[in-house]
Amino acid sequence: MKKLIVLILIVGFGHISYGQTYNDFETDSIAASQPYQPSKTQFMIRGYGHTGLNFMSAEGEKESSYVGSAFAPIFLFKHSDRLMFEAELEFELENNDLKVGLEYADVMYVLNKNMTVRAGKFLLPFGTFMERFHPAWINRLPTRPLGFGHDGIAPASGIGVELRGAFDLGGPKLNYSIYSTNGPRLKDGSEEPEEAGMLMFQNFEDNNNSKAFGGRIGLLPFADSSTEFGFSAYSTNGVGETDSEYEDVGTFLYAIDFSFVKQIPAISGFIDIKGQYNNSDIDDATFTETHEDGDEEEYTFDNKSNSFYTQLSYRPTMASSDFLKKLELVGRYSNLNTPEGAEWEEQSVQYAFGLNYWLTWRSVIKIAYQTTDSVGGHDGGGTTNGFYIHWAIGF
Amino acid sequence: MKTIHKIVITGLMLLVIGGIIVSCSSTKDKYTDVTNAEDEFKIEKSGAQMWGEACNRCHLAPSPADYNDTDWETISLHMRVRANLTEKEITKIESFLKSAN
Repeated sequence: MKKLIVLILIVGFGHISYGQTYNDFETDSIAASQPYQPSKTQFMIRGYGHTGLNFMSAEGEKESSYVGSAFAPIFLFKHSDRLMFEAELEFELENNDLKVGLEYADVMYVLNKNMTVRAGKFLLPFGTFMERFHPAWINRLPTRPLGFGHDGIAPASGIGVELRGAFDLGGPKLNYSIYSTNGPRLKDGSEEPEEAGMLMFQNFEDNNNSKAFGGRIGLLPFADSSTEFGFSAYSTNGVGETDSEYEDVGTFLYAIDFSFVKQIPAISGFIDIKGQYNNSDIDDATFTETHEDGDEEEYTFDNKSNSFYTQLSYRPTMASSDFLKKLELVGRYSNLNTPEGAEWEEQSVQYAFGLNYWLTWRSVIKIAYQTTDSVGGHDGGGTTNGFYIHWAIGF
Repeated sequence: MKTIHKIVITGLMLLVIGGIIVSCSSTKDKYTDVTNAEDEFKIEKSGAQMWGEACNRCHLAPSPADYNDTDWETISLHMRVRANLTEKEITKIESFLKSAN
């Protein structure tokens, strides 16, 4: 019995003394613990959103509407210092419906200091507007120039693989991008006769075996990186459905872009000039038009389109007033010319003027006026004027 | 159009081959340690200067305080690829953003 009591006491006191040693507050303090070490694997949600009020008037008809909050979250998953997955969703309220789109979703790997490979759905570097400037908090006006966007004559994104990178030329810089994607598909008019001959760039599952190849070269000739000239090309041998009469219809597109951004003390602020010219040439093909009486008529046209925009903005960042520093004046000219003889023939010219107030570097209130003169097009042409008040925010 | 397509593909192939040769070739700083003449005579741009130049090409330059160091690492990798920045540019800009936040 005595032995048992002694054993219990030894175990009990031994445990307590061990516990006291373990719970040494001097060595177990927060200060002495391991400092916070972030892991290499990182996940971030960024993105942007915008909302606003539009007043439109066209041929005597006026309408106004609060336009739905567009929300575009960007998911960044950094697996290591070289490997990343990125994706952008786009939620938009349009025609009383919620439209959800996958803007891009790609995986990228940095091969070396001059080369990165990307695969998946990515924004195409065809010019610079759709790849770099289209997000609402970056675009200085509430609208896009003519010919750009999801229904534009230039591709915005594609599914495929891309090699891109940049070289430091000891002052000047050169950047490049080379890619292969599913390419566009030709609208043959069977579903939408009024769009026969148009290219549809949303080609998620390739309709033929011809892949599109393209690339862009950008040159920044000055050491201050203020100026950039770019040339882009995009080509494919076939845009029609396999085994259809349009299978061998090819296309060649090119774009020339220019950018100049610099703070100039003589004018006490930042000046930002941008421009891009797009040209699209699709092989001629014959389409069928069905009249109201049921008669069918074949027609063809020279399937060439082009669009252009140039934009000038000025921010008086060196002004003495804090209010003036946050203001920005913007002006933009754009035009769009689609093929003569096509059902979607259009010649449009647009002028847009804006006044922006930057709340922070990523939040802006945009007030703009825009006037568009069109001949042809979906709406039959005429003059359309618009007044916009928008609020865009990046996060 | 087939001829133009062939010319485009040939041009792109030449660009790829040229890019691979240049980017995979040895660089001087890998084996030459004899002189630091370049460092002595060349006035290097600071990360702050590159931050002002590179970011403003598309959007207003971000405030360093808006994200922490870890976030800046993620954003830097994203922007390096999105804006096609050189390794030198993004390294210096990232260092500046992390030092100033």
